[in-house]
Amino acid sequence: MRAYILRRLAQSVLVVWAVTTIMFFMFRVMPADPTAILLERGLTDEARQALLEQWGLTGSMWDQYLAYLGNLIQGDFGSSFFYRKPVWEVLWPLIVNTLWIAIPGLLLGAAIGAAIGTAVGWARRGGKLERSGIFLATVIRGVPNFVIGIALLTIFSSTLGWFPGFGMGDPGATTGFARYFTLDFLHHLALPLIAVIIYFMPENLLLMRSGVVENRTEDYIELVRAKGVPQRRVAWHAARNSMLPLITWLFPALAETIAGIVVIEIVFSWPGVGRELVLAVTRQDYPLAQAAFFLLAVMIVLANLAADLVYGKLDPRVVYK
Amino acid sequence: MTQVPDQGAIRGRSLFSSARDSFRLLMEDNFAVVGVAILAIFVLLAIIGPWLAPYEPFKAMMTETGRLNRLSPPNATHLLGTTAFGNDVLSQFLHGFRVALIVGLVAALAVGFISTVFGVLSGYFGGYVDDVLMRLTDIALSIPTLPFAIVAVALLGPSIENIILVITILFWRNGARIIRSAVLTERERIYVKWARAAGASHFHIIMRHILPNIVRIVFLWVTMSVAFAILTEASLSFLGLGDPTVVSWGQMLNTAFSSGNLRTAWWWVVPPSLALVLLVSSLYLIGRAYEEQTNPRLRRR
Repeated sequence: MRAYILRRLAQSVLVVWAVTTIMFFMFRVMPADPTAILLERGLTDEARQALLEQWGLTGSMWDQYLAYLGNLIQGDFGSSFFYRKPVWEVLWPLIVNTLWIAIPGLLLGAAIGAAIGTAVGWARRGGKLERSGIFLATVIRGVPNFVIGIALLTIFSSTLGWFPGFGMGDPGATTGFARYFTLDFLHHLALPLIAVIIYFMPENLLLMRSGVVENRTEDYIELVRAKGVPQRRVAWHAARNSMLPLITWLFPALAETIAGIVVIEIVFSWPGVGRELVLAVTRQDYPLAQAAFFLLAVMIVLANLAADLVYGKLDPRVVYK
Repeated sequence: MTQVPDQGAIRGRSLFSSARDSFRLLMEDNFAVVGVAILAIFVLLAIIGPWLAPYEPFKAMMTETGRLNRLSPPNATHLLGTTAFGNDVLSQFLHGFRVALIVGLVAALAVGFISTVFGVLSGYFGGYVDDVLMRLTDIALSIPTLPFAIVAVALLGPSIENIILVITILFWRNGARIIRSAVLTERERIYVKWARAAGASHFHIIMRHILPNIVRIVFLWVTMSVAFAILTEASLSFLGLGDPTVVSWGQMLNTAFSSGNLRTAWWWVVPPSLALVLLVSSLYLIGRAYEEQTNPRLRRR
């Protein structure tokens, strides 16, 4: 078990290194000169050179790469061209904002999806509930997330005026950590969160339904039924066994959801990592873009690692080698 | 008497006949029929759409008094109204069909081809090729899809070709893995061993025993790839990173969004949104039917 964890950890480090390397070289082939934006602000040549050195943009590509890796290991992501402060300071508060819509969205989406999926999977094959459930889930899954966002904005913000459709709090609201516990924050959180839930639910529903359909004909279900257990509880048995693949899917999905949330953050002007990534890319602020991308990749690697370890805990048939 | 495998078992099946069987099964699924019907209409509109368009998509419309005809609601001359820049919404909308389908089909064909080649080679031959592929996909699977697309398209330059390239780079990895594991099962079948014993070449076995049996999985993956490609292009365009020289639905929505008319100009927002939903859902309906085909435990008994 310990050897397995160590090997998986080593593998993860390797993957992170590979992603970092790909990313580094991708950004270096960018045709635009990052200092061009600064030149417009009337910088002298000496000042420009000093900035280039400060940002690690001097020397050969290889030197830059080694310096970059060295800094990364020390947790130094460099400075943002746009904000003129360390990238980490810009991104740190944004991670929390992203997680605020990602984690509850993911868990609620999974729970609601799993509940409806069990009902649909347990329904009579070819019956009305099954067919309409599958049809609706498939169609909702086909709705692009920005369309979900636009629809929610138009209906609940513009037309009904129930929720604000912009940002994370009204101007002059509480700042700092305390803001996350104000009513104003929750009010702003509602629509983006609902968008994530709707975006995330159908896939869970369909996955759960397949699992329940596969399990319902198993012998152990017959046995439970023969014992005279009520239908609802029998369905629960099938559901519990169908959750296994759902959970392995959930962790990598967390990362993918965080990535997909980029679009939802943009629609609702939610100040998260994804939105900052898009802004950084359009501003050619590449230390910031690089760090945001790195952060998202690390989240995926960690999620995959967690999925592997949790799966073994849940499924006793898995043997670690 | 020893049992001799009959000739048919060694000869295998042609790819064409198994593809036809799979399509026949698909048409037995009502949802898939709905999906195929919608898709057919979209393909037709992609071909004739630009000719049906009454105006040039980027032409600024003027009112009789010579002012820019901006944000006009639907009327007789502009059936779907105009945009904030005085463009005819219907004309832009009709041009969008072609872009969406070209991106979807070209990217999916590329993804389907690459994942099948890699999946089959690594599943069938195993060994060194397989190790390299698995390590490569391990890395590729840790790259967040949309963020990668955002960065890569911004760096390469926002053109349709680059968007297709980036989508192909992103989605071949999952396909190769899925096809590889299907090939791993097929390789162990008894008729493959018979064919091998009877002196069939690797090429013959792959073409007539392996591929015909995984054709549904390939179709499933290609169908899903069309949907992913269309969604990715639409998302990139919505974020303002699409090809500025063509009109796509995502870009129409981006223009509506960034000009601040998202909430009021419904005639501008609804057509592209609805078209995207219909197109992607129809593909998912078809994909779902293939999924039921490839997983016999889901089939109705």
